[in-house]
Amino acid sequence: MSLKRLPGGFRQPPSRRDFLCRSWNGIGGLALSGLLGDELRAGPDSINPLAPREQHLPRKAKHCIFLFMAGGASHIDTFDYKPALEKYAGKRLPRPEGLSGEVATALAAPHTAMPTLWDFKQYGESGRWVSALFPNLARYVDELAFVYGIRLDNNNHGPATLHMNTGSQFPGSPSVGSWIGYGLGSPNQNLPGYVVIQDPRGGPVNGSAVWGNGYLPASYQGVRFRSSGPPILDLERPESLSRERQRREFDLLKWLNTKHGGQQPDASELEARINAYELAFRMQIAAPEVVDLARESESTKKMYGLNDPNTAGFGRQCLLARRLVEQGVRYTLLIHGERIASSSWDDHSDTKGRMPQHAAEVDKPVSALLTDLKSRGLLEETLVVWASEMGRTPYIQQGNKPDPKPGRDHNQNALVMWMAGGDVRAGATVGATDEFGIGGIDPIPLHDVHATILNLLGLDDKRLTYLHQGRYRKLTDIGGHVLSEIIA
Amino acid sequence: MSRIRLAKSGGLLALLLGVSVTLDADTFKDGVQPILESNCLPCHDQSTRSSGFSVENAESVLAGGARHGPAVRAGDPAASALIEVLRGELEPQMPFGKPALAEADLAAIESWIRELAPRTTSAAEKTHWAFVQPRREEPSAVTNGHWPRNGIDNFILSKLEENGLTPAEEATRETLIRRLYFDLIGLPPPWEEVQAFAAATSPDAYEGLVDRLLADPRYGERWARHWLDLARYADTSGYEGDPENYHTWRYRDYVVDAFNNDKPYDQFVKEQIAGDEFVRSMSAEPLPAPEPEHVVALTFLRLAPFTEPRGERSRHELLTEMTSTVSSVFLGLTAGCAQCHDHKYDPIPTRDFYRLKAFFATVYVAPARSGDIFQIGGPQPAAFYRPGEKKWADKTRAKYEKELRETEAAFKEFLGPLLDRLKAAKKENPEDEAEKGDGKKKELTAGDLEKAIKKPDESGVGKPPLFSAEEKNQHAQFRRRFRVLKDQILRIEPSAMSLRTMDPPPYGPSVPTTYVLNRGRWDQPTEAVEPGFLSAVAGHSQPAELIQVDRYQRHPGHGRRMTLANWIASPENPLTARVMMNRLWQYRFGRGIVETSSDFGKNGALPSHPELLDWLAIRFVDEKWSVKAMQRLMVTSSAYRQASRRNDDQAEKADPENRLLWRIPRQRLEGEVIRDSVLAVSGRLNPARGGPPISPPLPSGLENELDSQYKNNFWETSQGEEARKRSLYVFQRRSLALPMLQTFDAPVLDASCDRRRTSITPLQALSLYDGDFVNEEARQFADRVRAQGGGRVDSQIRHAFQLALSRGPSDDESEQVRGFFASAESEEEALVGLCRVLLNSNEFVYVN
Repeated sequence: MSLKRLPGGFRQPPSRRDFLCRSWNGIGGLALSGLLGDELRAGPDSINPLAPREQHLPRKAKHCIFLFMAGGASHIDTFDYKPALEKYAGKRLPRPEGLSGEVATALAAPHTAMPTLWDFKQYGESGRWVSALFPNLARYVDELAFVYGIRLDNNNHGPATLHMNTGSQFPGSPSVGSWIGYGLGSPNQNLPGYVVIQDPRGGPVNGSAVWGNGYLPASYQGVRFRSSGPPILDLERPESLSRERQRREFDLLKWLNTKHGGQQPDASELEARINAYELAFRMQIAAPEVVDLARESESTKKMYGLNDPNTAGFGRQCLLARRLVEQGVRYTLLIHGERIASSSWDDHSDTKGRMPQHAAEVDKPVSALLTDLKSRGLLEETLVVWASEMGRTPYIQQGNKPDPKPGRDHNQNALVMWMAGGDVRAGATVGATDEFGIGGIDPIPLHDVHATILNLLGLDDKRLTYLHQGRYRKLTDIGGHVLSEIIA
Repeated sequence: MSRIRLAKSGGLLALLLGVSVTLDADTFKDGVQPILESNCLPCHDQSTRSSGFSVENAESVLAGGARHGPAVRAGDPAASALIEVLRGELEPQMPFGKPALAEADLAAIESWIRELAPRTTSAAEKTHWAFVQPRREEPSAVTNGHWPRNGIDNFILSKLEENGLTPAEEATRETLIRRLYFDLIGLPPPWEEVQAFAAATSPDAYEGLVDRLLADPRYGERWARHWLDLARYADTSGYEGDPENYHTWRYRDYVVDAFNNDKPYDQFVKEQIAGDEFVRSMSAEPLPAPEPEHVVALTFLRLAPFTEPRGERSRHELLTEMTSTVSSVFLGLTAGCAQCHDHKYDPIPTRDFYRLKAFFATVYVAPARSGDIFQIGGPQPAAFYRPGEKKWADKTRAKYEKELRETEAAFKEFLGPLLDRLKAAKKENPEDEAEKGDGKKKELTAGDLEKAIKKPDESGVGKPPLFSAEEKNQHAQFRRRFRVLKDQILRIEPSAMSLRTMDPPPYGPSVPTTYVLNRGRWDQPTEAVEPGFLSAVAGHSQPAELIQVDRYQRHPGHGRRMTLANWIASPENPLTARVMMNRLWQYRFGRGIVETSSDFGKNGALPSHPELLDWLAIRFVDEKWSVKAMQRLMVTSSAYRQASRRNDDQAEKADPENRLLWRIPRQRLEGEVIRDSVLAVSGRLNPARGGPPISPPLPSGLENELDSQYKNNFWETSQGEEARKRSLYVFQRRSLALPMLQTFDAPVLDASCDRRRTSITPLQALSLYDGDFVNEEARQFADRVRAQGGGRVDSQIRHAFQLALSRGPSDDESEQVRGFFASAESEEEALVGLCRVLLNSNEFVYVN
């Protein structure tokens, strides 16, 4: 396959036609005819499961970058401005109606309201309120669409993180990226279609279950890019094996496999396996290349904050995400914050001290990502999502004794998210929380958000199904309602 | 599919196609409906439904109403509520306030009820094959009378012949022994065995091999893996912190034993659902403690992931999962779908789900053990019972405890000078002390030292740090060692990760009431329900008659789960034997007779050979639920011995999916079998069986990342041959699957898995080609070839093929490989390369 050189030294991924004709010796063609139906069934797993597939609906976004703030980022101190809280500072809040769960229980007991600790200002033509914690991102509010008052199924990190990333609070379901890979395939076979880059300080709660393929075939699992060294496990040849030697061995392997396949009926999966070695051979070149930042200009690196220890970690993650998008990677999950450590957004204590640190770590890199994508014309075809697994309470975390550095407890009823790029209606909002940010007014179920993400990538959540143990499963379970308010 | 005929007779075809018009419905329409319509309709039509009862159609009559339940007991008019109210035996007599029905009309209704098949309670059920008892049916005659070796073959052949097809030739001896080895023990055959079998002249050489393999203890290891998939087995709880369940491995060993000892399947079912309820007490004495083996078996029920218990909510989630899993694993029914709404496809009303859940109501979610907020109730005592196990555990514990003592002593010695240094430093710097607040001088403790060591160095202060990096590292190593040793000791406590049940009054609450929950919400109870079987299967929705285990009723609820287990593990249950036979068939023939092996409901696949499935189910019960007897029957059939390589255009055209079994499908080995086979071929597989899980090396330092990720959960890499036990024994961490196994579709078992996927990804190629594991074993494989195959390249090549693929190379293969050798810098490297290539070859990972 000839690879065209592009400015910046990147290789253009082969066109779909190239791919079908050459890469898979026509197997991909078979795959397409089998998989283009409305319901993508389990089917024989033998065909190339990552062959690119048509969208259900015409949408501009071809890629998704999902920015996950682990630990539960406070909506009150970021994007959901609640001035009414000021009056109640240090006092009890009125008890809202119709709320159940842990937050409702806590509100029935003595508690102390805590308004946001940062100044909020309105920005852009849209006049969105943003706290002083995000000075850079604030300049981009006109590009973003906010979703307020999202409700999750659980008030605890483990289940809520799964709910956000897999649509179910119980383990075992495919993650969002797996569904998207299943629905759309992947245009660049030399790289995984679904890449995960976790915080260099450590992984999230639930570990690899966050990007697992659940009951979908393993081809759709998220592939973790590691923060140093070869990005993919076992990507490097053993030291004793030169690339030339490996090529010889692969040739022998191919010869043996081809001979073996010639004696077999229904050999398509055998051929697919022969091909997988060729892909792996190319991936050994493509993957290190994509994480090699040497060719990035100094100004770009600076823009992402790679020169500052506070922003270097997430800055690198964001810069890699842009490079992956350029190479056609379908879904990139970036995780900020290590499980239940001080680096996560789980600020039960010391909101004042910790929030500025978290925000500073992501504010500049995320803004740089948006700028960079836009200037390269990639924001058009990339959906960027900012999320966490829960919001936080408008009152102080209640402990046995007063905390000299107060923090906020979990709040499953009031998550805020934003999206940008593709067909996102820039500057729009949907949903709202009550005046104190306790919970959503007409809360938005997370399934609706997932349905919207799929929709923005051209997938209909009700048609993206997989038959598993008697049911056509969906990311949105019994179905979500697309939040059309934020779609252009 | 449309071209092949799956069903033989018209009636059965109607069932298969879901045609619902049956003779019974006609009788109802002509003889019964007019009577009911003219007398009952104003109050009991579909819209009025007084007491929830409607006479609109046969189905609604059968379903009955809210007051008396199902109106009809099939075959038994006298016991049917409909007749009872019409005759005035039940109050109020119907038609309400009107004269009773004419005797002729009553007789017509009675005769309709009498004619209903005894098990039939609704039209919906009648049309669904799986709720009807298996029928003892002989296969129709076959033309090729020589081919069948046992009953299975008659069924397979008759359907092939019906479609104008023939079975494939018998596979070669080399293929058959390889197939048998992988299917029965999950490993490739040793070359000597292959040679011996190929040369055997005895007419029952094949049967002899089958018997040897079924008696081989590795058979249990192979088949336990299948069962553990269904049982959603893991060694940790998942979610936040992913804490270890220290004793689940004993359940794994229990399952291995069950297969090896051919524990009757009905017993196997009962032990896993109600192991603690075998004990009875007919005196005033307290209930005796359950058998340790039964306590271990019960681990099955609580293998689901769980997290921080949050009262009733967690209990509801746990019980709901149990109910769904028991239903899908043993009954092949997706009852879990009915927790929020009536099942969309199967006749499982929501109420039935909660009636089923009520059998588990005695399960107690105990408060967490102190310091471990993620556990539910902790382990239960279960003495070691397997032969030699107690001795082994005592010895091993003594070894660890000795090491723990020694480590503690060494640690103390290590800390001594450090504490002195800290004291000296504090003396020099008394202002630090003042910071503590109380002003008084306090004796520095080990805890202070701990804090001081863990404190990060203050850089830039200009004074050298109090403790060197080496000392800090050593300290961390000690701490880690303690944790590891304590874990190891904990794992071999005589305990099981089993269930606790409610204590009866006056010690505890009595059995909590089970409620139907509105849309499955734990905090929205509606109607209270009693334990009861699935009405579509049982034919009624009366409460189950619960087993009483003690005469004095001091253990209310003890016996509930056994009641359910007895119902499941009964020859009368139309699903249990069929579901298990179908699973066996699937693992053996690549695909179940019912392709959806955990869904025998309406949305599941229809059986390709319904009569065969029935025949197997009946035979299974006749064989006293012996799994081994059925395995033997399946693998000694002619159907099983067919070749997989067959190019037959006609068959390909008529049945491209090979549903009729005109050849044996080729199968991709599971990730675990690939790892085990690599070790078997390199000659380094550690045959040791059982015991706590092993932690094989993770690729390129992944365990170091894990250390920082799970601060309390180390991946303490197993050393030496311990790391080379079979994959069955690999630590199953829910937040981290062994990467190589995972790329080959080995699932993280968060939910029951009835069938492995077989995806193909470049990541498999990377792990199997570049990974440390395969490369180390490829070198060992090459050494073995050199040692056994001699110094000549030709014989080395031949032997490498023989070990890896159970056959020698063909001439052109030899030539190709010789060319490969010629291009290499050294013969040693070429041989390692060849070994690597063979371990990666399609022939190695697919079985014909």
